[in-house]
Amino acid sequence: MTVRSIRFRLTAWYAGLFTVVAVALGALLFVHIKSYLEGTLLETQARRARQICDTLVANLGRTGEAYVAREVAALYDPEKSDRFIRITAHDGRLVYLSGPPFSQAFDPAAVPAAPAGAPAAFTRRERVAGEPALLIAAARAGAGGTSYLVEVGTSAAPVESMFRHLLLLLGLGLPLVAVLAASGGYLLIRRTLRPVDQIASKAEQITQHNLSERLPVPKTGDELESLSVALNRMITRLDDAFLNSKRFVADASHELRTPLTVLRGELESLVQEPGISAAHRERVGALLEEVERLSMIVERLFALSRLDAGEAQSEWVRFDLAELAATTAGQMALLAEDRRIAVTCEAATPVPVDGDRSRLKQVVVNLLDNAIKYTPEGGAVRMRVFGGQGLAVLEVIDTGVGIPSEDLPRIFQRFFRVSQSRAQYPEGAGLGLAIVESICNANRGEVEVESAVGKGSCFRVKLPLAA
Amino acid sequence: MRILVVEDERKVAELVARGLKAARYAVDIAPDGQAGWAMVNTYPYDLVILDLSLPGMGGLELLRRVRRRDAQVPVLILTAKDATASKVENFEAGADDYLTKPFAFAELEVRVKSLLRRGPVSQGGTVRVADLEIDRLTQQVRRSGRRVDLTPKEYGLLEYLATQPGRVLSRTMIVEHVWDESFEGLTNIVDVYVRHLREKIDAASPVKLIHTVRGVGYSLSEDSAT
Repeated sequence: MTVRSIRFRLTAWYAGLFTVVAVALGALLFVHIKSYLEGTLLETQARRARQICDTLVANLGRTGEAYVAREVAALYDPEKSDRFIRITAHDGRLVYLSGPPFSQAFDPAAVPAAPAGAPAAFTRRERVAGEPALLIAAARAGAGGTSYLVEVGTSAAPVESMFRHLLLLLGLGLPLVAVLAASGGYLLIRRTLRPVDQIASKAEQITQHNLSERLPVPKTGDELESLSVALNRMITRLDDAFLNSKRFVADASHELRTPLTVLRGELESLVQEPGISAAHRERVGALLEEVERLSMIVERLFALSRLDAGEAQSEWVRFDLAELAATTAGQMALLAEDRRIAVTCEAATPVPVDGDRSRLKQVVVNLLDNAIKYTPEGGAVRMRVFGGQGLAVLEVIDTGVGIPSEDLPRIFQRFFRVSQSRAQYPEGAGLGLAIVESICNANRGEVEVESAVGKGSCFRVKLPLAA
Repeated sequence: MRILVVEDERKVAELVARGLKAARYAVDIAPDGQAGWAMVNTYPYDLVILDLSLPGMGGLELLRRVRRRDAQVPVLILTAKDATASKVENFEAGADDYLTKPFAFAELEVRVKSLLRRGPVSQGGTVRVADLEIDRLTQQVRRSGRRVDLTPKEYGLLEYLATQPGRVLSRTMIVEHVWDESFEGLTNIVDVYVRHLREKIDAASPVKLIHTVRGVGYSLSEDSAT
């Protein structure tokens, strides 16, 4: 799965969005609950501080400080209920200080004094190092000309431990949620996109040779169904266009034959007329050569259109490709000898192939002819035939001029010619290799080429090896 | 010998008729299948040359009718179609031979001659052109009584030229007869072989037998004017 695939991106977005929402929700919950709980606790402390002010400190002038201290200890029992209570006179004199709580959550003596100049009622958090925070509410009351500060506090330990648990829960739960979201999203997207893979792999298989085939249409009623239907309509239009152009080539080459017959016949009878001068005979001869070339192009186009129409399977036989190559090399030896080119054929063992023997012979002839044509005098053409891994391979290797790499992809196209060869061999038409490829394809094989300019070329024909 | 040419392309029909008349055959032209059928029923023809794509009654239908009426008359098919399937169909319908357009007239003449003679040209015997002697049984060749050694392909080429002395044979015809259809379009191989053959046959002799007719092909004859 690549990073740019829709499956990956959608899954990532899905999981990412889910995680962000979950984190935000968790954080909001955390902050909100924390402030609510602490607020509630502080409110309770404040109420209690107010109560002590109103009921006890206000009457201090009458009852005395010792009484108040006793009453507070008896009524509120701060040690048992984990509470901190401190009453301080205006001049800093301590009227009452609760003892250490049973839970040992804090040390009352270590709680710092309230900051000077504080308002009549306020709240604060005190944290003594190494201990949970202390939530303190303070209230002021005056009695007998002295102002007293009543501080009531409670440990935040239960709240803090609860938040630690909540944090732990969120910390463990969030990744789990993210993983679940990612895998769930992935599975869902994969199921939705499975038809896309099927359509893509089928589309890869469709070439100009099997345009009659169609893409699978998922019956999902969604965008993918309408996409594959639209693509299929496009393939139908392509198929029609290809058929039209093929039919055009077949019709055109067919229709050209009759005028060519007349042209050729008339010129032939003219050139053999007794009274014709040598100069005219030469010129008519030149015309005849062009007619012959035209006829050859028409023949080859017609042969190609027949191959396109799939008529190659008509004469299917089993034969030895090695023997065919050796025989053909022998038949063409003189052509090579004439240019002082050595043709060798390496074929150690029989290589059985099923196919149209005479057409495949044409492949060997065309490839050898090219190799001889484009190899400088004194060069060598080597042919190798071997079988293995279900393939019958025929290689024609020359030490010729080679093909520029920018021309290699187009070398099998109809009428394509390497510009240099057009100047050197004007009689060709650029159809020989197109025929080679068409014949190979019609025989369930393929042809490929490797070439280096100045070093030579290697054409490799691969056919299915007969069992 | 009377020949019927059924061909709707007027120019092709005239070309064929003119050439055959020059070779001293009597020739009639029918421009379509109906006319062809009427003429086959009127005159006793020795040979029918039939184009397959005719207006009205098609060539194949005419061929079937001719065969039903007369199993003997040879029929040579002219066609622009040379798909293997239609080749088989034509022979099944009773065609004796078959030529695809564009053909060389020399080729047509060879076929006509062989069909009228019924059966292939005899395989045995000695062929003589001037002081060239070809023994077709032993495949031995002598020039001025001196033995000439030829490779099988060279022999095939020489025999083909020598059995049609004086006739200019196109390179395409030579390729089709001496090699096979895979070599179609590879006519330069003919030039190479003819050159080698000349060295062996003509080089040592003042009388040259193998002639080149530019644009048409090669011929073998005593007469240098061809």
